[in-house]
Amino acid sequence: MREQRVADTFVELADTLVAGFDAVEFLHTLTERCVELLDADTAGLLLADERGSLRLVAASTGQTQLLELFQLQEEEGPCLDCYHSGQVVTLPDVSQVAGRWPRFSAMATELGFAGVHAIPMQLRTQIIGTLNLFRMHPNGLDETDAKLGKALVDVATIGLLSERAVRHQEMVTEQLQTALNSRVTIEQAKGILAERHSVDPDQAFTAMRRHARSHNRRLGEVAGEIIAGTVNVTDAVADVRAGNSARP
Amino acid sequence: MGERTARVFSWIAAAATDGEGDGRISVAALCRAAHLRLGVDGASVTAMSGNGTHTPVAASGELAAELEELQVTLGEGPCLAAFRFAAPMLVPDLAEATARWPGFAGAARQRGVGAVFAFPLHAGTIQLGVFELHRAAAGPLPTEALGDALIFADLALQLLLDDASGTVRPLDRHPIDDTSRGRNAVHQATGMIAVQLGVDMAEALSRLRAHAFTGDTPLSEVAADVVARRLRFRPEVEPDETL
Repeated sequence: MREQRVADTFVELADTLVAGFDAVEFLHTLTERCVELLDADTAGLLLADERGSLRLVAASTGQTQLLELFQLQEEEGPCLDCYHSGQVVTLPDVSQVAGRWPRFSAMATELGFAGVHAIPMQLRTQIIGTLNLFRMHPNGLDETDAKLGKALVDVATIGLLSERAVRHQEMVTEQLQTALNSRVTIEQAKGILAERHSVDPDQAFTAMRRHARSHNRRLGEVAGEIIAGTVNVTDAVADVRAGNSARP
Repeated sequence: MGERTARVFSWIAAAATDGEGDGRISVAALCRAAHLRLGVDGASVTAMSGNGTHTPVAASGELAAELEELQVTLGEGPCLAAFRFAAPMLVPDLAEATARWPGFAGAARQRGVGAVFAFPLHAGTIQLGVFELHRAAAGPLPTEALGDALIFADLALQLLLDDASGTVRPLDRHPIDDTSRGRNAVHQATGMIAVQLGVDMAEALSRLRAHAFTGDTPLSEVAADVVARRLRFRPEVEPDETL
């Protein structure tokens, strides 16, 4: 029942005024729902850092190479263009744009991606980032999916920034910087788990997220506690290592 | 190094060598450069710790230093809040902040301060202090200056980390490699090294940076080696082991 899932997702994305709201977890949910509901194989979300670059904050899959593809867009690529123009950028076939974005085109092709669809996250006149959908097969999103994707991103953007009724630029800055720093904490915690349990960073992330969900905790908090040594996620790591992909 | 970071670094290098500086890339030079380049009337860096210690590291002038002292004395203000909440505290008009910080807002305004902007020196859970700007005129920090201020804060954090590991910084060579790619690997490697050495995150990052600088290797490459398990950090043998 796609209609029901779509309706549920809108409710989920609008529900940001809850206690324990976690921006990074929220944006991960957005990327996952996009992959679930739209004709896309993977999704990544870049937030604009006021230092002048785009930073990957969430992605629907944790493949390290894929993350690099997103990170490359701090320098070149359709997502960067989407951010600067504030317009949806849709590319049916990345192999055709080697002249414009040589490194992006090469890496995307190598990873097996053909289509890219980048949607700006815009609040009034300010663009805070982009949501980027990648497809293994050429051809762009159909019109229904393109519209739905835009609507999901709009709802999420409003939800994210109205978390505490953002009226001022000051508060946007504070929240964006907090979300970006939360991402750094998560990366540090991934390193700790990777070393301690001999898993790779992606598995470490999956375990951390699994633990956060099953204990109804914020991802950023769990990451902070892993670093402080006040939480034990051994069970979640064991699950991930055993290849148990079922959600808790 | 990103273009924008390179520009901010060149400002700091210029402040270090303009006659008033002592020729070294230091937090003091950083504060003077911020004062000169960000359209503000002063800048300061305060080292802080989770257990409540505050150590003034540098200030571009007396007023900047005094504002820090005031906040410590009063136990309130944007600097303390930025550290506590790990978020920038941008106060474009202190007149509107009297409810939040009754003591500090009044005292700062008496000294002619209209706006204060405080930025935490942090990277994930590493939190070393606060970089603070003050200005007589009320009003927001322009977007360009805001972005630059965030970069100043990044560099201040890195200078404090490198001071801790005794890394020497020549003027012509910046030991900071912040190329955007590989940044996540730096943070992951920091976590791995913390476990390998049994040290906290700040020391782990400090050691990673020192290793990159000593070996003349980009930070992102050293980090990638750590993450790929091609490089391990080993605890140094305790020099004076006791029974």
